[in-house]
This record gives sequence, C-alpha cells and structure tokens, in this order.
Amino acid sequence: MGAWWMALLAGAATGVLSGFGIGGGTLLLIYMTAFAGVDQHLAQGVNLLYFLPTAGASLPAHLKNGFVDKKTARPAILAGLAGTAAGAWAATALDVELLHRFFGGYLLYIGVRELFRKPSAGASSPDSPPK
Amino acid sequence: MQKSSLRAAMAGGAAGLVNGFFGGGGGMVLVPMLTGRCGLDQRRAFATSVAVILPLCALSSVIYFFRGGLDLTAALPYLLGGLAGGFLGGKLFKNLNMDWLRRGFALLILYGGVKSLFF
Repeated sequence: MGAWWMALLAGAATGVLSGFGIGGGTLLLIYMTAFAGVDQHLAQGVNLLYFLPTAGASLPAHLKNGFVDKKTARPAILAGLAGTAAGAWAATALDVELLHRFFGGYLLYIGVRELFRKPSAGASSPDSPPK
Repeated sequence: MQKSSLRAAMAGGAAGLVNGFFGGGGGMVLVPMLTGRCGLDQRRAFATSVAVILPLCALSSVIYFFRGGLDLTAALPYLLGGLAGGFLGGKLFKNLNMDWLRRGFALLILYGGVKSLFF
C-alpha cells in the first residue's frame, strides 16, 4: 500500500500549491505521469477531480481575505466553461501517446516562460492595492 | 459588454481550453492574463484564478468521466491529500513571497517537460 500513501502525500504537497493558485495540478500531473506510471488520459482525469476538493478547501480563505475579484471572475468563468468543454472533448478523442507529447511541449514552454520572466512591479510587494 | 468583462472572458476562454485539453494547468494561463490584461495585482490574480478554475474542472471531470472511463479508486488518495493541502494553502497564502515561489516552480515544470518529451 506504499503507492497509496505516496499518492496521498503527493496530493497534499501539490495541494498547498494548488491552494495558492500556482499550478499544483501541473506538478501533480508530472508526478503521476513521470513517477507513478499513470497514463496521460487517466492522470488528466484524476487531476481534474483532484482540483475540486483542493480548490474547494482553499477558496473560503481567499474569499474571506477579499482576494477574489468577482467582477473579473464571472465573465472568465462563463467563457472558460465553453473553452474547457472543447478542450476536454478534444483531449479525450486523442491518442494517449500524442497527448503526452503535447503535454511535454506545453510544460517546456511554461517552464522557460516562468524562468525568464521579469519580476513584475507588484510581484514582491504582497498587497499592492487593486487598480 | 464592457471592455474589462471582454478581456476577462478572453482570459477565461483561453484558460478553459488549456485546462480541458491538459486536464489542468489552466491557472498558469489565467494568472499572467489576469495580471497583464485585466490589471489585477498578483495576489488577487492567483486567488481569482482558483475561483475561476474550480467550476471549469468540475465540468471537465464530467466530460472525462463519460468519454474516457475516469477511475475513482485511483483518484481517491490524491483527492484526500489535495483536500488537506488546499486547506493549508488557503491559510498560508496571505504571507507568501510570490517571486521566490515562482522560480522554484519553473524548475520543476522544466524537469517535467524534458521528461515527458524525451523519455
């Protein structure tokens, strides 16, 4: 049952990052596909499910702290639902090997982008007021 | 429709596409667009991203479930871990150095990318 506990720990560790909103889900995908031997389709499905309790557990704190911009969130959610339906539809129709390569290319792009990003003006000052 | 709503909708649509296709990672598209185009500060962008991605993941999970046999038993330990981690993340979020977090995160992502592409 070692694998079960490893999965629990991996979920908890990436869950902290997911709670921050910084891509814990992506790390969990990497853990599942690169270390735990889960195939890309299943890993993606698990990851989507995983985000429900994880985000659900962090969201009340964000709302309470007043960090959620509802005016921005509403239209983003509406358009996002349409986008995510199309994306999920395409992914579940695709060959699993191909999907895995796409995923690798996407990770490289994000990694390079994040690594060489100029620190933005408000980045290190924690609570710059909303514009 | 107001311009700011339109920009938010574009950001959400793009994030949704990625989130559905890769089964996650929508936040990494959404956060930079929220800080750039929508003019939110970093902390607000991250927290708002959590609120936006949650319903998207709910919808995608349903689609994955009906189209590709999602295994609930395999998912269970990740869900339980995520629940605890997410709760902690929400609590810690107020006192976080964003830049520091970002760099470490980028290295991990690069490692995963190399591994997925070439191995």
